[in-house]
Amino acid sequence: MSSSTKAGEFVFEQKDAEAKGSALYSEHIKLTDKSHIAAFAGFLMPLWYTSISSEHRAVREAAGLFDCSHMGVLEAAGPYAKEFLNIVFTNDLNKLSDGRAQYGYIIDAAGNVLDDIIIYRRAEDKYMVVVNATNEPKIKAYFFALLNDEVVIDADNPDRRLENKPVVRDMRNIKSGSDCRVDLALQGPAAIDIVIELIEDEQVKGQIKELKGFRFFETIVTGIDCIVSRTGYTGAAMGFELYVHPDKACELWSRLLEKGKPFGLVPCGLGARDSLRIEAGFPLYGHELAGPFDISPFQAGYGFAVKLDKEFFIGKAAMQKEAEQYNMEVVRIELPGAKGIRPVRGSDAVLEGGGKCVGWVLSCAKVDDMQIALALVSRDVIKEGETIGVYYLARNEGQVRKGRKQEIKKGEKAEADINGVTLNRFAKF
Amino acid sequence: MVVKELAYTKEHEWVKIEGDEAIIGITDYAQQMLGEITYVELPEVGKETGAGDELAVVESSKAASDVFAPLSGKVGEVNSELEEKPELVNSDCYKKGWICRIALKDKQGVEKLMDSKQYEEYLKGL
Repeated sequence: MSSSTKAGEFVFEQKDAEAKGSALYSEHIKLTDKSHIAAFAGFLMPLWYTSISSEHRAVREAAGLFDCSHMGVLEAAGPYAKEFLNIVFTNDLNKLSDGRAQYGYIIDAAGNVLDDIIIYRRAEDKYMVVVNATNEPKIKAYFFALLNDEVVIDADNPDRRLENKPVVRDMRNIKSGSDCRVDLALQGPAAIDIVIELIEDEQVKGQIKELKGFRFFETIVTGIDCIVSRTGYTGAAMGFELYVHPDKACELWSRLLEKGKPFGLVPCGLGARDSLRIEAGFPLYGHELAGPFDISPFQAGYGFAVKLDKEFFIGKAAMQKEAEQYNMEVVRIELPGAKGIRPVRGSDAVLEGGGKCVGWVLSCAKVDDMQIALALVSRDVIKEGETIGVYYLARNEGQVRKGRKQEIKKGEKAEADINGVTLNRFAKF
Repeated sequence: MVVKELAYTKEHEWVKIEGDEAIIGITDYAQQMLGEITYVELPEVGKETGAGDELAVVESSKAASDVFAPLSGKVGEVNSELEEKPELVNSDCYKKGWICRIALKDKQGVEKLMDSKQYEEYLKGL
């Protein structure tokens, strides 16, 4: 199922299994029509409950609750957990103390980005590793291949192997131990008030209020053992991820919705999760990271999470090269998006002022009467505040017959169908 | 929701025959699947279309979906209100959200369309 080439490429063939209901499926079908539920990364997940735009707005103005139980949650534990993860991970765990989390990448020795992840340090010898749902089977296979010495970790020294190994387990699997976790995300300005409502202990309430970004602690929320983390994927300045035992997920979900209702809390589907992260400028693996354009962390705007001053990590040599020579970058663009304007889509061409193609759209979302797109363009060609054009690629055969192109190459000239302006790379709300 | 008096295609278009004309739209099932519709590319008035040809494009923030001509003929009137208010396809797909009229060449193909009962059965099987 997986293999590692001499050059250090980790090859993984994913088996397609039939999608199963997420840990919260029984709640979803109470809240929305089945036609709004679709298979994603092997789980049946809600795309939206009422509409993407109303759920998006709720997160910006009040709060939204997301089923993120599809996200992979792994644990590396034991005296060698930190050493192992610091070799696998591009950021630097030596800078992490208990109760703090760090964002970074898993890269194979050939330089391929396998995933972007968050590592939570629960104790010196206990780490929770949260990986993308779509990549979870691959990362699990990669970790176990590493533990079995089946992976080339250094392309310049293919015989190099890990000296010490941790104990790795899947924290979503209730057979793996009593401490199991799945992720629910509570995001938006009212999130703090809702969590406070569900906590009895005055001291803990104070701790929650003081909690800064990328920090977490373990406590009891409405009688349920939780890891409460100030992290999220929506760009909301206020938001939590609550990691809970899968058997308690439905209970926590329904209590949050009930207590949160007076604060304007609504359940949110994958559609709003996508439009919110696009508006914030966050990459999605397969779109703004890796994917058809093979986008590196440097191109995505996250060079800071690749610590080239670390003595060693898998893929370091490839990342050093990439840091010196990358020539494309991800930018965030705002375009008109009122009803009646054709939506911009992935692969549409991005044009500089003179009409020359400098790159392509990766993702786009409608936000109120605007569209926010993330695009991959030539580095240092488009500056913040500059006008850019977008050419819509043909969406069907009829449009091709009318002369609309199906592909625009870099450097090729085209006439813009719609004009927008380049924004700052990230936004916080 | 399925309306009794209309005919349906497997691609989720509805058809209302009025004399020598057919009014075309997309069904409630189709608009539900698409989500919030933000743009409708209407066909050109006067265009000759064969059954199964691409007629229009309906786009939501999630997908662009082709609307196929259920019957052959010439595009007559189009619902230009959808240029400004594409959301009518969501809110009233069987009435205000109609897409266009086709002046039928003949009645060929009408018998191949599903009636509301058959379409309901078809939806159950999806």
